[in-house]
Amino acid sequence: MAAVVTPVLTAGIGEADLRDIAVYRGRGGYKQWERAVRDLKPADIQAACDASGLRGRGGAGFPTGKKWSFLPNNDKPRYLVCNCDEAEPGTFKDHMLLEETPHLVLEGILLGAYAIGSHHAFIYIRGEFKAGYAIFMAALAEARKAGFVGKDLFGTGYDLEVTVHRGAGAYICGEETGLLNSLEGKRGEPRLKPPFPAVEGLYGAPTVVNNVETLAYLVPILEKGAAWFASVGTEKSKGYKIVSISGHVNKPGNYEVALGTTVNELIQIAGGMREGRKLVAVQPGGGSSACIFEEHFDCPYDYEHIAKAGSMLGSGAFLAFDETTDFVAAAHNMVRFFAHESCGQCTPCREGGHWLEIVLRRFVEGRGLMSDLDMMRRVSSTITGLNLCALGDSIEPFLKSVLNRFPAQFEARVLKETTHV
Amino acid sequence: MSDRRADFPALLAELKPECDALIAQYEQPRSALLPIIHLFQSREGYTSPEAMRAAAAMLDLTPAVVESTVSFYTLFFRRPVGKYVLQVCRGLSCSISGANDIMAYFREKLGIGHLQTTQDGLFSYEEVECLAACDKPACMQVNLEFVYSLTPAIVDEMIAAMRAGTYATAPMAQTDAPGKTWQVDQNDEVSTGGKSKGARDVSDPDNAGGLGDKAGVIMLDRIVDRDFAFRGRTSERVVLEEPAQIKELVNEDAHH
Ligand SMILES: Cc1cc2nc3c(=O)[nH]c(=O)nc-3n(C[C@H](O)[C@H](O)[C@H](O)COP(=O)(O)O)c2cc1C
Ligand code: SF4
Ligand code: FES
Repeated sequence: MAAVVTPVLTAGIGEADLRDIAVYRGRGGYKQWERAVRDLKPADIQAACDASGLRGRGGAGFPTGKKWSFLPNNDKPRYLVCNCDEAEPGTFKDHMLLEETPHLVLEGILLGAYAIGSHHAFIYIRGEFKAGYAIFMAALAEARKAGFVGKDLFGTGYDLEVTVHRGAGAYICGEETGLLNSLEGKRGEPRLKPPFPAVEGLYGAPTVVNNVETLAYLVPILEKGAAWFASVGTEKSKGYKIVSISGHVNKPGNYEVALGTTVNELIQIAGGMREGRKLVAVQPGGGSSACIFEEHFDCPYDYEHIAKAGSMLGSGAFLAFDETTDFVAAAHNMVRFFAHESCGQCTPCREGGHWLEIVLRRFVEGRGLMSDLDMMRRVSSTITGLNLCALGDSIEPFLKSVLNRFPAQFEARVLKETTHV
Repeated sequence: MSDRRADFPALLAELKPECDALIAQYEQPRSALLPIIHLFQSREGYTSPEAMRAAAAMLDLTPAVVESTVSFYTLFFRRPVGKYVLQVCRGLSCSISGANDIMAYFREKLGIGHLQTTQDGLFSYEEVECLAACDKPACMQVNLEFVYSLTPAIVDEMIAAMRAGTYATAPMAQTDAPGKTWQVDQNDEVSTGGKSKGARDVSDPDNAGGLGDKAGVIMLDRIVDRDFAFRGRTSERVVLEEPAQIKELVNEDAHH
């Protein structure tokens, strides 16, 4: 591996106006869609997806083809839902794809829907993406006019409708069952699993929820072949990934790289550290992930290696911290996020996040207690594993990782007269 | 400002066809709840009790269920807000890249804090979670339009242009005067509920045997009708709506 960027989904962004359907089609756009409906069976797309080794880019990294295979055969309709609720702290790739290359996003949705035999697909767009919503609506209208969406597509008798649904401000609606409730017009509270959405999803029918980036990769996989995708990456992490790099680097941005590019190489790709400072920690997979440190900076950025390093690749949000970082404030910031976004159904998540936030706020103000340090470790580990969804289990990793790595920063915020206790 | 409540029936009549089209997009009507609320809010500047009641009627839901759902989403304002809603990102990437200074600058410049509205009703200010634009800190949304790479000079210019009425992003509709905040206190009066069907239909309330019974009837009815629901998310904590209803009853009783 080397420090190289390989634009696949991001190809053309910044060079051509890909929002224009003519420009998109001029670059081969919608060819795979037409070929799929005319010449391919859903099973062919499933097979290509399986062979490519594509895994979910939304956070959990679940093999996409395998997820599709869980759909039961019954007389209920099937739904494909594209998850564009992107709100994992540090992640900004779907936002870019939606605004910059909406037709690619749509073509991915169409292919995914066809692959699972669906006649009605949805895209759930984060409420804040007002511009992205308008851009996508315009793209959908163009595609409909061109005969790519609607009834009797390409004269084959296959019907496919696409409905765009706007969220209204709630991170938890990114969680797939929270999303489905929100799509049904309810509070975005996650559901108890099982049943998984594949069995009982939208309106109780078999449903696949896939991330924007996951679905978009179906287009190049069909175009260039599953083998092309599978030839890149590492043993169990195939293909490319858009990494959203932010924090103390010179050139924050979205960089599309082969999975397995190392952490150090990613820093290099993002222009190195600001003001020649030193990299001390990386949060490699969004707000829900633990930090990794120096001993892992040569680690390949893929699902397995990052997990082995004690964290997760998640949504591909890569946040770099230099030695000037106030990790007490950072921990408070992260915990406050989860406390604010907890849907409130589970007591550990709702109360645990709330109280940890209050304790951490005291530390930020220099009024921590020595005994709080252990208490925070205990409380955060107690919260983990007792919740309906992964949000509750996301409170601990970052906090614990920086608490263990930078204890001096926390101790320095303990009320002076109590330090001897 | 014309009388929003008096104008509401006309607005409803105007938006009804669009609402019907939204409902038709889905296999189940209730799915159109968020889109319908978005639509009304875009015209009224906030989600009024009338809009929630209208949505309830269109979707065959109870008002309490609609308010409970609406209260889950931070972009739905259940109280009037300023013409410019300024939402600055407080997420971690931004906050380690200058956002803290920008937030302090906004607060000082506007003289208000998080979740507050200026007295002239022009600005509402909120510090929000990661906006998925972490590569261009500090960032914000003005009435949901992004502004990236903020500096104090950009903030100065923006606020001056908004005051002068020359800012590029259009102001939000403002059909009611905003208060100091748009957050709904958990003990606030129920805004949409009204009395439940059952309670309204009790022909002679005095025959029901006094407040205790009346309250019981209301509670039971609403539970049977599923016309009770949780409100808010954790930031508001979780409460039942009932107390305000009962309070109303107590007040009524005291007048007799
Ligand atoms: C709290 C929480 C928030 C999530 N937010 C998102 C999101 O914004 N976008 C997304 O694609 N997946 C998100 N996920 C993951 C989804 O539940 C789901 O796994 C994903 O959409 C599946 O798509 P994939 O298999 O293509 O990755 C979130 C999960 C949790 C627990
Ligand atoms: S873990 Fe938290 S966010 Fe998830 S369902 Fe429970 S309370 Fe809601
Ligand atoms: S942290 Fe501000 S946009 Fe992500």
